[in-house]
Amino acid sequence: MGGSGLLPPPLLLLRGLWLLGSFSGLLAAAGGYRRQVTLQAIPGLNSSSTNLLHVRAVGQNDTLHYVWSSIGAPTVLLLYTQSESSALRVNWTKLLSASPAGAIWIEPPGSVVYSTAIVFTKVFEYNGANVSALSKGQEEPFYPTYDLAGFSWQSVNRTVNQTALTARFQGVDTSDPGGAFGNGTISFQVTAYEQGGRDGPLPCLLHTANSSKVEFIMDNVAPRGNSSRFMLEVVTVEERGGRKRLQSVRSIDDEYTPTIFEMAQLVSESHNNSIGPSFFQWKTTAYGSREASRENAIRCRYRPLQTANQTLPGPSIAHAYFGEGLGLSHRIAAINISFGGEDGEIYAEKGYLSWSALLGFGTPPKDAFSPLVMTIVAVAMGTPVVLLLAGGLVVLFARRKRHSQYQPIN
Amino acid sequence: MGEPGGEEERPLLGSAHNDCPQRRALPALCDPRRLAHRLLVLAFMCFLGFGSYFCYDNPAALQTQVQRDMKVNTATFMALYAWYSWPNVVLCFFGGFLIDRVFGIRLGTIIFSSFVCVGQVIFAMGALFNAFWLMEAGRFVFGIGGESLAVAQNAYAVSWFKGKELNLVFGLQLSMARIGSTVNMNIMGWIYSRVQDLLGSTGHSTLGFTLMIGGVTCIFSLICALILAYLDKRAEKILCKEQGKTGEVIKLTDVKDFSLSLWLIFIICVCYYAAVFPFIGLGKVFFIEKFKFSSQEASAINSIVYIISAPMSPVFGFLVDKLGRNIIWVMCAIVATLASHIMLAFTFWNPWIAMCMLGVAYSLLACALWPMVAFVVPEHQLGTAYGFMQSIQNLGLAIIAIAAGTILDSRGYLFLEVFFSACICLSLIAVVMLYFVNHLTGGDLNWSAKKREKLQKLAAAEAESREKLRRQNEDDLAKLQPKNDFSLRNRYLSKLGAQLPDNYASYVSALAHRSVLK
Repeated sequence: MGGSGLLPPPLLLLRGLWLLGSFSGLLAAAGGYRRQVTLQAIPGLNSSSTNLLHVRAVGQNDTLHYVWSSIGAPTVLLLYTQSESSALRVNWTKLLSASPAGAIWIEPPGSVVYSTAIVFTKVFEYNGANVSALSKGQEEPFYPTYDLAGFSWQSVNRTVNQTALTARFQGVDTSDPGGAFGNGTISFQVTAYEQGGRDGPLPCLLHTANSSKVEFIMDNVAPRGNSSRFMLEVVTVEERGGRKRLQSVRSIDDEYTPTIFEMAQLVSESHNNSIGPSFFQWKTTAYGSREASRENAIRCRYRPLQTANQTLPGPSIAHAYFGEGLGLSHRIAAINISFGGEDGEIYAEKGYLSWSALLGFGTPPKDAFSPLVMTIVAVAMGTPVVLLLAGGLVVLFARRKRHSQYQPIN
Repeated sequence: MGEPGGEEERPLLGSAHNDCPQRRALPALCDPRRLAHRLLVLAFMCFLGFGSYFCYDNPAALQTQVQRDMKVNTATFMALYAWYSWPNVVLCFFGGFLIDRVFGIRLGTIIFSSFVCVGQVIFAMGALFNAFWLMEAGRFVFGIGGESLAVAQNAYAVSWFKGKELNLVFGLQLSMARIGSTVNMNIMGWIYSRVQDLLGSTGHSTLGFTLMIGGVTCIFSLICALILAYLDKRAEKILCKEQGKTGEVIKLTDVKDFSLSLWLIFIICVCYYAAVFPFIGLGKVFFIEKFKFSSQEASAINSIVYIISAPMSPVFGFLVDKLGRNIIWVMCAIVATLASHIMLAFTFWNPWIAMCMLGVAYSLLACALWPMVAFVVPEHQLGTAYGFMQSIQNLGLAIIAIAAGTILDSRGYLFLEVFFSACICLSLIAVVMLYFVNHLTGGDLNWSAKKREKLQKLAAAEAESREKLRRQNEDDLAKLQPKNDFSLRNRYLSKLGAQLPDNYASYVSALAHRSVLK
């Protein structure tokens, strides 16, 4: 209770917190389910545009196949097989022909339990400065669209990193009417994970062993107006029985992605509940610098999910896997994700934009309070209560003592 | 101690005026003895501080714009507040001294106002030239003037309204300060967008022009300082009165005599304000991002604390005076603040609830906390105690401001709110300890007003007998007697309106220190 008791508690508290913090870090790194992941650029015909990247994640009694490709529009196939030995097969001549249906399949075919695809079709550019026009529901003035299917992509083989489990698809617009791609590129950086954990750089997405990350990067693509904003169109392909739903998960916890309180996710509702749904989730922020930090955060918005009467504009490996009758046999949904708010010209300044999303099987990961936060709360709230009780006892005893020694004054 | 005896013996009213030459009658508005003229002076006095209060929170009102246009992270942004606080870690010991002994109140006020003006102009220039270090330098200069100007403002109030409408004047000055902050919060964003329309784009020059326009309020305050100096000089001639003084005596060696209770009060003060002001400084973006508020709504809710405290402060001041039990009130205020921080951190409930609660708690704390200092410190140490309190508070604010910015950049708002809650918990721990320390040492902090009244009667009786004794004894025994327990209790008398020289009234010293009350 005395003056000497005043200083130690905060110091102790701090030291305790640091210890706990470091412990929790270790625990997070060590925990979780582990998959054997291999990253392989499948050699095709000698052409730079025949990029096919196969990520094979073998677990216990199942295998996840992620097939990334820039043949046609950049696409990823997510195939879940209940076999540890399922393998990817590619018929290259068919794949590069005009009718690629059936060019990609899994051996044995019966092992595939669930399949879905995500296609990045277009990048729109529009003038986003005029807030009043936007709020009045008027059409933003759009510039000619960049069709990603028409891009020329560098060979992914050179960018495969087996230790970090990353690879990069980097492309330029070959037609390039405005000369915007003089030094500029659009890339998709792919990261596979062996086990659960959390990314180091922002937005520090939490991932599981059943997921991969894709990072959409625009580097030095010259904007065609003074207040250009970009928008990415993402198309999803889902089996007929299932259907994608757009969810907005608002959380009070922005510890890992400072000041971002919203996670948006596309979750498939499968007809067969025994197999977990797939998800595609992203924090509603993009970053305007290679060193992502809060001050170069770019506001990221999304439009409602379009499900009615959607068709998948070809070509893409989705056609090769699902077949030509894609529109009939599968549900197709499209969503537009825009970067940049009414104010702020962060992209114009740095010429860089990076947006990360996580895709995978199972239930989407959800952020939880870090142990550090829990400890601070517990200690900070607990100490006054303990002190109150202890002090109360001391006072009680002191009063008894005083009463026994002195007579009341009055 | 100064020369209390001399002052006590001088009649409070009147006789000094007889030495002056007879004056011709003046119209009411120009006659310093008339209420109308005093009200005119009061108006200038209130606007004297308006500029500095307006510009103090300019960064908070323009947080997104400053960070975007100057391309700084939040920690660097919060340095703008830290740079304001640094000079005051030292200066608050000397503000009173500078006014009393070096400049005099009139020149002092003009000098401090000029510092505020120049500081704001440098601040704006920094934005215009896209030099953030210049902006920081501007805030430093602004800080040199700002707090001392508040001391000068209160010295003026004492000098003009001593024994008249002093409480009302202090109340009005505080309200004016809050109005300054509120207007700033709600208008700067709008000015920025106007300037943006005018220049056609955002950018550092837009920010610079906006801050320059904000600086007009400082010019306005400087003009008020000049007019006040003239009116005060004129009144001095007409009334033959002395130049006003703060009456502050600061002796740093007193620090070693400070009691445990006083140190606990310091901890409460530092931890509490560290969790309120930096939060308001960073609050706008929080409401925009977490609660999806528009920019205007966020400004409005961010200023609600100031808006609430304007009318609530006098109410709570009255209540605490009537009921006593200061520690319990402080405890309530801290618990309410903790609750509101927790609500903001862990729920999506309408933040207006939490912020209004914070506003009420904050006003209650100010009213219950600062008179406590006067209860645990003898009068002759009061100046030192308040100076010290303000100094460590500024130190705390400066450090916490930067820490808060860093935490926000690296760990986000949830962690920041948890951090602020922890600060509040620390002050809760301090107040709980204060309660028991006070209880065990038989202190008087938590007496009810009834008990204090009883004591006052006792003291009054004793004072009467002492007065008799003094009249009998020409040697003025009372003055030679060592300070006994009774005379230390004089501070109650001053609070309850007994006749004491104004510079010994506890609340005067308290009010002279802006950040203690803010």
